[in-house]
Amino acid sequence: MTTAPPIAKSPDATGGPSRGTRGRRMSNGMFAFLLTVPGLALFGAIVLYPLIASLVTGFFEQDLRFPGRSWVGFDNYADVFAGDFAAILEHTLVFTVGATAAPFLIGLALALALNTGMKGSGFFRGLFLFPWVIPGVVVSFLWMWIFNANYGVLNGALIKTGLIEESISWLGEPGTAMLAVIITKTWASFPWMMVMLLAGLQTVPRELHEAAAVDGAGAVRRFFAVTWPGIRGVAAIALLLEFIWNFQHFDTIYVLTGGGPAGATETFAVAVYQDAFKGFDLGHATALGGLWMLLLLVLVGVYLKLSERETK
Amino acid sequence: MTTAEAPVQTVEEPVRPTPPPAARKLRRRPDRIRSSIAAWTAVAVIGLFGMLPMYWMLVTALSPKGQAFQFPPKFIPTEITFEHFRTFAENEQLFDYMVNSVIVALITAALSVIVSTYMGYSFSKFRYRGRKSLMNFVLASQMFPQALLLITLYAVFRQFGLLGTYTALVLSFTTFTMPLCVWMLKGIFDTVPDALLEAAAIDGASRWRTLHTIVAPLAAPGMIAAGLFAFVRGWNDFIFALTLANKDTMTLPPGLVNTYIGEFQTSWPALMAASLIVSVPVVAAFMFLQRYLVGGLTAGAVKS
Repeated sequence: MTTAPPIAKSPDATGGPSRGTRGRRMSNGMFAFLLTVPGLALFGAIVLYPLIASLVTGFFEQDLRFPGRSWVGFDNYADVFAGDFAAILEHTLVFTVGATAAPFLIGLALALALNTGMKGSGFFRGLFLFPWVIPGVVVSFLWMWIFNANYGVLNGALIKTGLIEESISWLGEPGTAMLAVIITKTWASFPWMMVMLLAGLQTVPRELHEAAAVDGAGAVRRFFAVTWPGIRGVAAIALLLEFIWNFQHFDTIYVLTGGGPAGATETFAVAVYQDAFKGFDLGHATALGGLWMLLLLVLVGVYLKLSERETK
Repeated sequence: MTTAEAPVQTVEEPVRPTPPPAARKLRRRPDRIRSSIAAWTAVAVIGLFGMLPMYWMLVTALSPKGQAFQFPPKFIPTEITFEHFRTFAENEQLFDYMVNSVIVALITAALSVIVSTYMGYSFSKFRYRGRKSLMNFVLASQMFPQALLLITLYAVFRQFGLLGTYTALVLSFTTFTMPLCVWMLKGIFDTVPDALLEAAAIDGASRWRTLHTIVAPLAAPGMIAAGLFAFVRGWNDFIFALTLANKDTMTLPPGLVNTYIGEFQTSWPALMAASLIVSVPVVAAFMFLQRYLVGGLTAGAVKS
């Protein structure tokens, strides 16, 4: 799937213009490079330099509030491994897997339903986008209120229907907080999955379905034999991207629980942020962040490989 | 657009050939009814999950304070008030946050479009060594952990005296909006025929001039769409504004957290009203963007 049909398929569109003018003007390569300079300057200043400098900080003892730092080698890393690394990795993985798989399944069900050509599918597609469109903090506020222990509508509904007898402190109990955070993120993410998968489904030729139906294949069989092979590429990319985003997701968790209760929802993003900006311990934060970055790099590498193969 | 080959980025569904009548007849009716029932059930169940929270946000925002703090809650409100919206409008601090949000998001949109136009054009119409690696880097940069980058960014901005300024916010927002914008605009430039550029060159237009006066106007609809996406990203951003802004430059998302969360007793109706207000510009932008939506969402997700 592509964003726009690549009509212009030329090795070098402006090969023409430069011909005959060489010597008088700068080369096309130079011109093309100049065009990227403003963007590259931004990336260098805001992404590349901070990334490297942060990784270097991992080898120093440094406090956010005071100038100066001292070299400590791998001490910070040793501290991280001896401390909360395993727990944070576990929380991050649980959150990431949960908040990727659930939106995928919901988005897939919805995309399949809307792709049957049902009445109003365009309207529903637009309507379902709302949770994804609204700001992340608003999503967090909303679910914080829904999960509220004393006045929350979820407890109210569950008590009224007799499913529970006493209010549950969803965000206040280590056992339920992670579930609550995953549900919140799922609500905000499934529309994106729906759009991606719907775009994938629309590339599956309908005649294939018809033919399979004529041959007597049932709905399940048709899904696995016709639909899934057709959308597998899009699905893989959507899953991987969502996984990467969740792996570094911050907003929802930070607002809903701040990593609590008792660190039960502390993921890399929240832990690194809290260590640096609440605990002022930059060495520890960047060492933890370095390990986080390493894991992310692997995922990003897989993504780049995969998307390259998809476009071939 | 007056030009015939205006490169409006279309994200139409591929034309679906109607099946031959024979195949259609052969398709069994019960099968069709079953799949229709399944489809409606899925939409209804997921619809409840998707829409009930929105409904509850609206109901809470319209509830008088006393009614919101009842347990069990009233699922259908008996009394409606707009006082929370009025409270928001009368709160000077929140108004300042909103002004900051508008300023920062607008500048972010403008800057993103300018920078991304040049970069997208370079990626689309030129072939040079390192182009692929650059494109991969741009694509990957949005996936780097922002919390980690912020640790150094905070120090850098502090060193240059930019902490708590619009500049710090705009530069950060723009950088993380660019990958998406670059990909959107590259896709649009791909649809501009090379023959047009060659014709302009033969007519003696310089490459700058070709880009500014011939290609850019053709790509205007796409640039507007990219700008709107950048606006939304700037408007929604939380972590950068939370960390790099101060009391005077803070935008609404962290501003609302600071105002309402962590209070002894959060005023939920007021917060829900504020949430609705923050969401309005974004929802409006997306309604306008519907046409570009699929392209925009998958831009950067799938390389073209």
